[in-house]
Amino acid sequence: MARIPVEPNLDAVVELAHVSMRMPRRRRRKGSGRKQRLRRFAGEVRREEIEVLSDVSFRVNPGESVAIFGSNGPGRQALLRLIAGTLRADSGEIRRREPIVPMIEVARSFERSYSMRQNIYLVGGLLGMTPDQVEEHLPIIVENAGVASSLDRYLGAAPALVRQKLAWSIAMSVNASAYAIDRTIVVGDKPFREQCWSHVQGLRESGATFIVATDAPKQLRRFCQRALVFADTQLVADSTIDEALEVLREVRQRAKELGEPGEPPA
Amino acid sequence: MLRMLVLRDLQKKYTRFRLGYLWTLLEPLGMAVVLWLVFSVLLGARGFGLDPYPLFLAVAILPWWWFSKGIGASTRIWRKTGAQLRISTLPTQLWVVRALLVSMIEFLLSLPVILIAIAFTGFLPGPWIVLFPVGIVVQFLLMYGLALLIASGSIVFPDIGRMVRIVLRAMFYLSPILYSVSNIPAGAQFIAAFNPLVGVLGLYRIGWWPEEAIGAIGYSISLGLCLIIFVAGVLTFRRLENRILKEV
Repeated sequence: MARIPVEPNLDAVVELAHVSMRMPRRRRRKGSGRKQRLRRFAGEVRREEIEVLSDVSFRVNPGESVAIFGSNGPGRQALLRLIAGTLRADSGEIRRREPIVPMIEVARSFERSYSMRQNIYLVGGLLGMTPDQVEEHLPIIVENAGVASSLDRYLGAAPALVRQKLAWSIAMSVNASAYAIDRTIVVGDKPFREQCWSHVQGLRESGATFIVATDAPKQLRRFCQRALVFADTQLVADSTIDEALEVLREVRQRAKELGEPGEPPA
Repeated sequence: MLRMLVLRDLQKKYTRFRLGYLWTLLEPLGMAVVLWLVFSVLLGARGFGLDPYPLFLAVAILPWWWFSKGIGASTRIWRKTGAQLRISTLPTQLWVVRALLVSMIEFLLSLPVILIAIAFTGFLPGPWIVLFPVGIVVQFLLMYGLALLIASGSIVFPDIGRMVRIVLRAMFYLSPILYSVSNIPAGAQFIAAFNPLVGVLGLYRIGWWPEEAIGAIGYSISLGLCLIIFVAGVLTFRRLENRILKEV
């Protein structure tokens, strides 16, 4: 995908107009590899695309913190990737004013066979930093993630916690003021989470924009003013957090009454 | 970014073994020696390929290795890059180019093997050697097109990866690597021209063996095909790019 175009004159950070999207359905991993192959051979597991977003329109203003509730796995990921521009919409239009950092499982982009330092350059580059910018931010990243002593060791040996911290620190040092965040703003153990919160609050006060897709609404009550609620591929509510939670409850209630297994917490 | 990815890949390759870079030379050299022993000394197949046979082999086998490694790598590009594609707005082609560049640099590093073969046989190339670099460029275009075709095709139809491996095996024998195009019966030469590798390998060899030609028409067909594959790859990839991004 070519570099995403940005329109500095736009008055919204990102604006979606009538966006629809189909995504391949997540294959359910049941049984052993052999069983799966057999099932595929028998034509039981077939690739299919399902509608995950239909005719979605909304805009996010600069400096806002917006939560996204209710969209399930593929839908949530598609939405975040569309916002950040790492995926193109099937139909509809998306315009953005500035680059938006996609914080979508960043830690999974690490290469195990690279050293920590090399990984910082790799992931920084993926997120749109030039090597010079990475170099400039390197001390801060290292300090934030607390990996100073193992900077040149291979990442493969690092525990998941360290990788998460590192990913977070890299993403936060990208020279941007808008973030599309998957699931959780803060990561790691308790002291690190505190550190994250204060960093994020600081960013917010300086006018950064946050779009957070989450399953844990309570965490965000103190952070977001606005929430978008999705139900069955459609945007059903755009309001304050408390109202949105109310709507979300109703949606789930209705789904349960219809005998459908509601939105599973993916 | 690309430079970094490629450098790291190479580094990874070379730091794992004690002899490091030497293996890049030893591997094709060993291969050439084995093939030379089998075909030339043991089987005594005279009139098979052109003299001096070791050099003749080396000139074609190095590009072939580059070809088969690069194309082989292109069948498994998306296996590990899913998470990276999800967060990156860099051009998706970058991952394809990366796979090709790694094998290409290995190829360039292994070129001294040809020098060794020249020293060993004392057979110097003529003025047509200027087409050698052209061959490298054409081969890169061909491989870029093919890799894009394979990479995007394997998203739609995952079995392509397996098929490519078999086709590669067949290509080794169907291309004038062990033998010369002049060994191909006159009637079949026209068909052989539809193998893009015939043209590419011809460009490499013409410096030493200008008489080993399949004629201007044959070359144009073969090299034209390279161009067609290149364009087809670029177009196919553009069409399927979003599908790839969705799927990974």
